[in-house]
Amino acid sequence: MLFVLTQVMFLLQEPVPISEPVEEEAGGIQLLLPHPDELIAGLLAFVIIFFFVWKWAAPALNKTLEARQAKIRAEYEAAEAAKVEAESLLGDYREQVAGAQDEATAIVDEARVAGEQVKADIVARAESEAEQIKSRAHDEILGERERVAGELRREVADLSITVAEKVVETNLDDDLQRQLVDRYIDELGGVH
Amino acid sequence: MEQLILASGACDPANDIICKPDNVIELFQFEDNLFAIGPWGITRTVFLILLAMVIVVTLLYFGLRKRRMVPSKFGITIESIMEFVRDDIAVGIIGPEGVKYYPWLLSLFMFLLIGNLFEVTPFVNFPITSRMAIAGGLSLLTWVIFVLVGFKKNGFRYVGALIWPTTVPIALRPLVGLIEFVSTFLLRPLTLAVRLFANMVAGHLMLTLLLVSGWVFMSSVGEIGARALIGVPWFVFGLGIFVFEIIVAVLQAYIFTLLSAVYVESSIHIEH
Repeated sequence: MLFVLTQVMFLLQEPVPISEPVEEEAGGIQLLLPHPDELIAGLLAFVIIFFFVWKWAAPALNKTLEARQAKIRAEYEAAEAAKVEAESLLGDYREQVAGAQDEATAIVDEARVAGEQVKADIVARAESEAEQIKSRAHDEILGERERVAGELRREVADLSITVAEKVVETNLDDDLQRQLVDRYIDELGGVH
Repeated sequence: MEQLILASGACDPANDIICKPDNVIELFQFEDNLFAIGPWGITRTVFLILLAMVIVVTLLYFGLRKRRMVPSKFGITIESIMEFVRDDIAVGIIGPEGVKYYPWLLSLFMFLLIGNLFEVTPFVNFPITSRMAIAGGLSLLTWVIFVLVGFKKNGFRYVGALIWPTTVPIALRPLVGLIEFVSTFLLRPLTLAVRLFANMVAGHLMLTLLLVSGWVFMSSVGEIGARALIGVPWFVFGLGIFVFEIIVAVLQAYIFTLLSAVYVESSIHIEH
């Protein structure tokens, strides 16, 4: 729109000289006709470009792309091989880890069994020792009791003898006899 | 360029009059030789044509020089362009045998791309494809190639199938055949050339008109005062067109290459 406006202004401001219309027309046609020098130069330039593209650029691009393709393929294949290897390694490691775990479990189980065994042994031994101690103590107590009973018996016999002696030695009246018996009994109580 | 706009003797900048050049050819044809190689004088256009060739060869050379596993960014760009032309244009349009035509299509695309982009290249600002020599020459080459391919692949059945299309009702065949014949052998090279040429001429004209005239207005602020402001929207619009022209440059190179491939394809497979 603005362009049209300026065009119009352009035309209006012009003094409109009716100047050499023949040359004007020639100019228009000249514009449409190829200039021989330029035609030759243009075709020459195009042919040079064409030969350059045909003989060098297109093959160069092809080679570049082929080289790139080959390299990418090689790298892809290498990566693929590395992946397969890594996967097999991973499998191995997994197996190893699984084996180690089994082994560890076995060791722990074994240790547990051994521990249980040791514990049972210790408990059994402790129990038998306690039993021994108990029976020994029992025996000792029995022995002691018998010894004490024997001593007592001897003591009673001695005392009885002593009392009998004293009774025999002295004339005993009834009261005295009773006193003696009481004393005897008291002494018996003292023994206990 | 300022001189081009203010060239006519009737124009006097002091009187605030901006004039168009006497002849539009002044914007497109450089008559003076920049230098001469022996008997050949090199004008600016011829120099730019050769420069475009050098740029294309250099780009391809540096893009492909080192064969790297991981290419550089520049290498990727060049490789992508080449693969695009090969896979999407040559093989995509023509089919598996299109690979054979890919050096030609790639040369075409690269040469046109650089030639078109000269339009928006600073200090060049001139698309060599706005010269009929380039647009016409290359479309003539396309014409020669697709006609030769047609005869080589199908012999005279190539023309026969065109002027007597069996897929069309018999009553229409003469008419359709005539249209096909004219369109294939006469209009195709013409439209191919004119499409590119006209796009580039129009783009170059618009840019020149908007940017140069805008600049002339703005820089004459001392002489014409506030009226110099008219140059601002003009110039800004020119910058907008500048971006647009970059797209046009790429698009036209693509279209030319694509249509060349389509024409070759239609010469190989004449059945449709």
